[in-house]
Amino acid sequence: MLEAVDLTKSYNGTVALDRLNLKIDPGEVFCLLGANGAGKTTTINLFLNFVPPTSGTARIKGKDVTAAPLETKRHLAYIPEQVMLYPNLSGLENLEYFSALAGHDRYSREELLGFLKGSGLPEDAADKRVSTYSKGMRQKVGIATAVAKRAEALLLDEPTSGLDPKAANEFSQLLTRLSGSGVAVLMATHDLFRAKETGTRVGIMKHGKLVQTLDTKDIGHTDLERIYLEHMHD
Amino acid sequence: MVLRIARKELVEMARDGRFRAAAAIVGALLLMALATGLAQQRARADEVATAERLDRQVWDGQGPKNPHSAAHYGVYAFKPAPPLSFADRGLSAYVGETVWLEAHWQNLASHRPAEDRTALQRFGELTAATVLQLLLPLVVILLAFSAFSGEREAGTLRQLASLGVPGRALASGKALGVAGALALILVPATALGALALVSAAPGSWVATLGRAAVMAAGYLVYLAAFIGLSIAVSALLPSSRLALVALLGFWILNGLVVPRLVADLSERLHPVPTATAMWAAMREDMTNGIDGHNPADVRSQELERETLAEYGVTKVEDLPVSFAGISLQAGEEYANQVFDKHYRALWDAYARQDRTHLAACVFAPLLAMRSLSMGLAGTDFGQHRHFVTAAEEYRRGLQRFLNGEMTRKAKGLDFGYRADPAFWATAPRFDYEPPSLASVLGQQASAASLLALWAISASVFAGWAASRLRVA
Repeated sequence: MLEAVDLTKSYNGTVALDRLNLKIDPGEVFCLLGANGAGKTTTINLFLNFVPPTSGTARIKGKDVTAAPLETKRHLAYIPEQVMLYPNLSGLENLEYFSALAGHDRYSREELLGFLKGSGLPEDAADKRVSTYSKGMRQKVGIATAVAKRAEALLLDEPTSGLDPKAANEFSQLLTRLSGSGVAVLMATHDLFRAKETGTRVGIMKHGKLVQTLDTKDIGHTDLERIYLEHMHD
Repeated sequence: MVLRIARKELVEMARDGRFRAAAAIVGALLLMALATGLAQQRARADEVATAERLDRQVWDGQGPKNPHSAAHYGVYAFKPAPPLSFADRGLSAYVGETVWLEAHWQNLASHRPAEDRTALQRFGELTAATVLQLLLPLVVILLAFSAFSGEREAGTLRQLASLGVPGRALASGKALGVAGALALILVPATALGALALVSAAPGSWVATLGRAAVMAAGYLVYLAAFIGLSIAVSALLPSSRLALVALLGFWILNGLVVPRLVADLSERLHPVPTATAMWAAMREDMTNGIDGHNPADVRSQELERETLAEYGVTKVEDLPVSFAGISLQAGEEYANQVFDKHYRALWDAYARQDRTHLAACVFAPLLAMRSLSMGLAGTDFGQHRHFVTAAEEYRRGLQRFLNGEMTRKAKGLDFGYRADPAFWATAPRFDYEPPSLASVLGQQASAASLLALWAISASVFAGWAASRLRVA
């Protein structure tokens, strides 16, 4: 579903991502771990074709994202660290607008409310303007938008940062449910615990390189933390 | 998808207090401009009707009088206020509203409202045209400068881009959204304008409807150019602040700098003589002949010889007709050639100045819009020229009529002839027919095409800028 082949990005000679090779199949949740600046967000930006690769290719469903920028985006949903919405519209209106632009313009009000509820937004907030929302509430609208898009691949850039533990837990359950239905997930995160819980694989990144990939079922949480810290130390 | 984007933009704007305030202010100004324009136009129409009636009454009631004395006394041609002048007064304040039609001389139009004003008022009249030409583009800029840059800064552009929305669709939707917001101001204004039109010219509003429709279309094209340009700049420049500065810069260039510079430049390129210099030159041509070879005294001796030969007499006193009448008419005809030469040169210089203005519309679409708007309102220079030319034709006919009466009724050197009191009412009346819409459109074809070119280039520019939108 998601595939990177020798994917490389450098900014003015500084390498942000160095020959990344990665393949994420439907139903897999791949968690990218690493310090800030390790290349996690760059990887996601490359899959979104927000920045052109210096070399190599990013593919979604076998299609090069630079060659088919609009078509490949139809298959994926993206939740950034800070979901940004239109402050003068309500949460429901934001969801409706983004869904319509994603091609789903036939959702009823009940369905839309269902998506918002499913992502944990309090019911009475749906019709309030987003300018009154907390960061966590905006994040939930972002999650609802991703779910409503019925994407086959999810690109998540620290999606649970700023969510309270309960909401973060609900989000993890949602991810598990989605991957169970065949969605491929690429998630950049700092949260080793969630990575171990929800991820099927984790990749540790350092200075733009993917230095180690592990299957989460083969490894305990303490082991993961130890391996991660070992990589960070040198 | 485009419609969905437009609807969302419109909802956002309608919920924004700043837009509501701007719309209310511009709407109120437009309303005020229409109301004052209408009041002025009505007052002017009443004035013209009264003046025409009084002038004719005085003319018809002259009693026994020598026709040439009556010719010297003269009549006035009053320029009617065209129905659409309530929306755009154009050059009305500067070119004069009446022409005094007297013997021997073609006068310039006089009674310029601008002469009675203070320097402050000269800065600009509040008309619907100024609101549409200057203020609405400002509203467009304020609505659209952050169309893309604002979303980039707020982070929503990443969200949109991740959905796979084509940049061009976004640009079209946003343009349509701004157009919709403008419609909230313009649709009521147009309805009021149409009402004003019907009340301004109860009899002729159907004939004026064509002009009004083309004028409205012209303004839509003009505003479309601003929408396209604002969206393009918003997509290209990295920040909203830069986009706003660039667009306001263009607004100032378009509305203030270029028109001012072009006015000076066109006067320098195509200078016109002062009235005094032109008067002296015409006197010179009349006295010493247009080519300098046929002075007035020679022409007069020639005329006397020819007339005596024609009637087979040897002395002027023996002529069966009035030699004064013949010689006055000959004088008119020679003078007419002089007027034609000098006035044509003057009008052509003005026309060349107009063309310089139009050429400069490469930098400022306002110049094309202004030309088109004045042309359709009937308040541009071309239609002033049409009026004064018609008035001059009438003056020449009236002189011929009066001199003919003199020639037929008086004899020899008799200058004391007095026409019958009933004679005056038989004189032709000045009945002015303004140029047709087709002929105005012909004159404004280049202005209209240049305006359309602006709108097309601006939308192509916007589409191009939006298709290479940078997200990160």
